Amino acid sequence: MASFILRKAEPRDVPDIMRLIKELAKFEEMEEKVVLTEKDLLEDGFGDHPFYHCLVAEVPKLQSSEGYTVIGFAMYYFTYDPWIGKLLYLEDFYVMQEFRGLGIGSKILKVLSEKAVKTRCSGMHFLVAENNTKSIEFYKRRGAADLSSEEGWRLFEIEKDDLLKMTAK
Amino acid sequence: MHFKLRPATKEDCKEISRMILELAVYEKMPDQAKISHEELERDGFCQNPFFECLVAEVPEENKSKDGFTVVGYALYFYTYSTWKGPTVFLEDLYVMPEFRGNGFGKGLLCKVAKVGKEKQCVRLQLSVLDWNTPSRDFYAAQGAQDLTDSEGWHFIRFDGQKLDNLANEAPKD
Repeated sequence: MASFILRKAEPRDVPDIMRLIKELAKFEEMEEKVVLTEKDLLEDGFGDHPFYHCLVAEVPKLQSSEGYTVIGFAMYYFTYDPWIGKLLYLEDFYVMQEFRGLGIGSKILKVLSEKAVKTRCSGMHFLVAENNTKSIEFYKRRGAADLSSEEGWRLFEIEKDDLLKMTAK
Repeated sequence: MHFKLRPATKEDCKEISRMILELAVYEKMPDQAKISHEELERDGFCQNPFFECLVAEVPEENKSKDGFTVVGYALYFYTYSTWKGPTVFLEDLYVMPEFRGNGFGKGLLCKVAKVGKEKQCVRLQLSVLDWNTPSRDFYAAQGAQDLTDSEGWHFIRFDGQKLDNLANEAPKD
C-alpha cells in the first residue's frame, strides 16, 4: 500500500498541477480545450487575489511514477448559492491511474468535506460528465445527489467572442 | 422606461432577498431559499465577499404595484477553469414580471459580461432548469451553448448529513 501525504499546493507544484490538468482533460476526451499555461496557473493561484485553492497528493520518491512524486490534485474555490449560502466548489479532482484504488481519492474528498464544514459551507458542488460512470458511482456511493437528473439543472456557457459582443452594447 | 443598473449596496439586501424568494417560487423550489437578508449582507459586503450583485432600479414614478423601485438583480461570482482560466458565474438573474420586456434582463446580463471582461474572465457560465424555455431561449439568443446537452455535464452536490458524514471521516492531523 502506497504511503502518501496530502498537502496544500505551493508555487513549485505548478508544473505538476499543469501536467495533471492535461492528463485529466485527456481522460475527459477534451485535451485540446486546455489553453491555460503554467504562468497563468502561477499568477491565478499564488498572486494577490487567488482564484483557486489546491491540494496535492504526494508519494515518496521511491514509489513515484517516471520520477513524479505529485500524483494527484484537487482544485477548489468558494461559490455562493443565494438559497443556502457559501459552497465549496470542486473544479478538478484527479489521481494518476496507477495510484488509484489506494484510498487517495477518498481521503481527498473527506479532507475537502471537512474544509467545507469548517468554513461554514452548506454544500460541496461540482460537475461530472454523464459518460463518466466510474466517477458518478464514486460520488453516489458517498451520498452525492445528481442535480441535473433530479432537478433538471443544465449548464450553459457564453464564450469570449459572444461576451465581447455583449460588452459592446 | 427609464431605469438604472448599478452595483448593489448593503441596504439593497432586503429587496434582493425578496426577489431571491420570487425567483425560487418561479423555479418551483420556494422551500429551498433559506438565506436571510442579514446573511446576504454579511456574505456580500465583508472584506472578501463571496458574491457581487447588480440591481435594476426604476424611478419612484415607475415603482411596482407593491411600491418597489428595485425591480431586478444579477448575482454572480468568479470561478476558475483549469482549461481556460478565470470565469464569471452568473448565479441568479431576475426581473420582476411587471418589468419584463423593457431590456432590463439583457442590460443586467451585458453589465455582468462587462464586469467579467474587466476581470480578464474568458467566459460566463450559468445554470438553467430544463423546463425553463423562456430563459433557455433568452441565453441562446446571446450565444450561450447548453453544455449539458452538447458535452453531458451534470451538476453534483454533497450537502446536509451526507457532507457531515464525509467530513467526520477526514483524518485527524
